[in-house]
Amino acid sequence: MWLPLLGLILGISLGLLTEIQIPEIYESYLSIAVLAALDTLFGGIRAHLQHVYDDKVFVSGFFFNIALAAALAFLGVHLGIDLYLAAIFAFGVRLFQNIAVIRRILLTKWSERKN
Amino acid sequence: MRKTVYIRFTIVLLIIGFMLAIQFNTVQNPETRDTRDIWAIRQELSKETETHSELLSEIYVLDQTILKYGNMVSESAELALQDTVEQLKKDIGLVEHTGPGIIIKVEPSLESVALGQPVEGISPDLLIRLINEINRFKANDIEVDGKRIIYSSPIRDVNGKTTVNNIPVRNAPFTIKIGTSTFEDAQKMYNQLEASTIGDDFYIDNLKLKIGKPEQNITISSYDQALNNQFLKEVPEGES
Repeated sequence: MWLPLLGLILGISLGLLTEIQIPEIYESYLSIAVLAALDTLFGGIRAHLQHVYDDKVFVSGFFFNIALAAALAFLGVHLGIDLYLAAIFAFGVRLFQNIAVIRRILLTKWSERKN
Repeated sequence: MRKTVYIRFTIVLLIIGFMLAIQFNTVQNPETRDTRDIWAIRQELSKETETHSELLSEIYVLDQTILKYGNMVSESAELALQDTVEQLKKDIGLVEHTGPGIIIKVEPSLESVALGQPVEGISPDLLIRLINEINRFKANDIEVDGKRIIYSSPIRDVNGKTTVNNIPVRNAPFTIKIGTSTFEDAQKMYNQLEASTIGDDFYIDNLKLKIGKPEQNITISSYDQALNNQFLKEVPEGES
């Protein structure tokens, strides 16, 4: 349980300590990549709680989503359309849905344990 | 099974945390944008050009010295060295300066004379400000009330008296001599001092700056006190 949290803290401190900065033009790519990663993560947690977790789906989804989001943003920049908004919308909606499902599952588990 | 899931989640969270931290770094410290307008840039450019021409003239002088050394190697290296020593002494103010320059008289202001106010000495802050102003206009040699200013001259308050080189400066009136390399420089200095606001600062202290016309020949005395060398040591004769 604590291992993933440790990973998060380690990643944040690693990023803060190395003080890496990316050029301003790539900022949107990174933000959308973060969103895609979060979406995959919550999808994975949901799948795990619903006992349908598949390792391959999770790992491939993580990298594929990030790459797709970045590619969309890249295409958008070159076409002059804010295509990254599509990715933000899709990921955002899915993120909320996943979190809602997770919440429901946890609530059910909690009430079951209480009874 | 459970363990692999946790390890996967850990790796993914590590990557997410890393990306978040980078994003945070980038947003927190945005690269500073150049917001100068064209005039500010022009001003900076002119400053750089000035530095450039100064450096060029310095290079010219050094080239001349090298040439002299080259010429004199066969004749007399000592003479060339002597020349350099003289030049260095002149540069730091150990030799009397005779040449173009201007003379500034510091006098009590007319108001203070008319109202019978006691004449106070010049404050060290004001004197430092004046000397900084003069140096900004590229003065070569400065003498305040007979005391030659060199690179290490202290200007400070000692028991309520303003001193230069640890010698008190007289109450007004006294003179400040400024030596320049050419007569044109002296004229420029005169115009710049006339236009500068330093006179107003003197007026607040009941003093008046009377800036004399540029002169072809003024004499500025040499620095007459001992120089303390902190790092240089004399080599005993016969050694090298």
